[in-house]
Amino acid sequence: MSGLIGPEVGGALTVWVAAAATLLAWSILVGAQRPFVWSQRLLAGLLTGYLALLAIREVLIPRLVAPLLADPAAAPFEWLALLLAAMLLGARWLPRWVGATPVAVLVGSIAAFALGGAVVGTVLPQIAGILPAPGVSGPSLLAGVATALVTALVLLAFVHGRPQGRVLLRLGAAGRWLILGGVGAWLGYLVLSRLVLLTDRLAFLVTDWLGVVR
Amino acid sequence: MPAALIVALGAAVALAPRDAPSMATADPTGPAGLYAALSDEARSRVLVAFDPDLGTYAEIRPAVRAALAQLVRGGGNLSFVSFTAEGRAVALAELDRLRRGGVEGGRLLDLGFHAGAEAGLVAGVDRIVADEAAGALAEALRAAGGGIGAFDLVLVVGGSELGPRSWVEQVGTRLPDLPLTAIVPTILQPQTIPYRVSGQLDALVAGVREGAAYVASVRDDATTAAREAERVTDLPPSSLPLLAAMLATILLLAEAVATRWRGSREGTT
Repeated sequence: MSGLIGPEVGGALTVWVAAAATLLAWSILVGAQRPFVWSQRLLAGLLTGYLALLAIREVLIPRLVAPLLADPAAAPFEWLALLLAAMLLGARWLPRWVGATPVAVLVGSIAAFALGGAVVGTVLPQIAGILPAPGVSGPSLLAGVATALVTALVLLAFVHGRPQGRVLLRLGAAGRWLILGGVGAWLGYLVLSRLVLLTDRLAFLVTDWLGVVR
Repeated sequence: MPAALIVALGAAVALAPRDAPSMATADPTGPAGLYAALSDEARSRVLVAFDPDLGTYAEIRPAVRAALAQLVRGGGNLSFVSFTAEGRAVALAELDRLRRGGVEGGRLLDLGFHAGAEAGLVAGVDRIVADEAAGALAEALRAAGGGIGAFDLVLVVGGSELGPRSWVEQVGTRLPDLPLTAIVPTILQPQTIPYRVSGQLDALVAGVREGAAYVASVRDDATTAAREAERVTDLPPSSLPLLAAMLATILLLAEAVATRWRGSREGTT
């Protein structure tokens, strides 16, 4: 559908708003600061409003308010959640420990899940993965040894705070160069991927908005 | 001038004829692996964990839409869930697109937004289908337990907030037999490739190049009518203009560095 001759007014309007927002954001390319700032504020405002709406419609009402109204006696966890939310909301006017308690619960529970998952799901399987498997030979063995070597050198680059020998220092320096090489290659590829985002917007303007190329 | 040059190059990339990258040399757990995993009609109940970033979704959108098209064509039933606010916004748009595209309502299930990040993900292992969810698909999933384990396959559309790493760590460790596949943008590539190599992800399409290879394979498989129905912007850009754009960008950067260097020299003399 072209934004100029589209049969659906809603769809055409959406395309026009998206095109206008794209051009506002791109105004910085020709040195126009103000339209760019408008687009930033528009994005920030829309995101804030959307987050608030999402929290109310999909979290607070169905998972807190509705169970409490339906059967207050059968919702002990919801009462606890309401209490913690009230403590967090009133933190500005209440003693410090009142506001700190729900934050501690929040950070502690997320850290527990994240740390447990990282050890069981990432650290242990990845350490097992870098060790050359028994019975392999040739290129696979070489790749396994190289992987283990690179991993060891990169880990040595993170050794800090103790007196180190000359060998360890040099190995750590080699690890830092490996990190730099890896990050550099990745950033180069990342720049390339950003061009795809640019072309996507250009293609949107040319095809969907102007309807020039199909 | 540099900005105009970048825009002109971008336009050339956007309008240039597309080539079809090959999957022949690809990793069996890369684009070819994703194609094989989504082709398995025995895995009809697919959970699409939709949590991309608004900023980078355009990079993986062709691959994601190709994956959804492949699943729909293969008779799969798709259930969408999001654990991030941005992911939920994009998921709603994609669900709407699928419905307007003629996919029967009974094959699509919106499981909504689940708060709590990692904790929400772990809670979803036991219960992800809400009691209010209606329809034969929801009933079948509830009969199978109502958790993430009730699905035959998970396709994670990843972003930087909650992506395949969280799924491997929180769900993969609790449901080791559940196949996990993922599509992620370039920024997540270094973080996710090790999970593919270790076999913790059954298939992964990471970044532009792999996405283009996967899209090409799905397009080869599609009917002519289906190909014609695809939007121009759903296709990946060809590699030659991308290379030209990359070289031009490097030249622009070099020009900027040289200008700054000349300026600093003039300042010192």
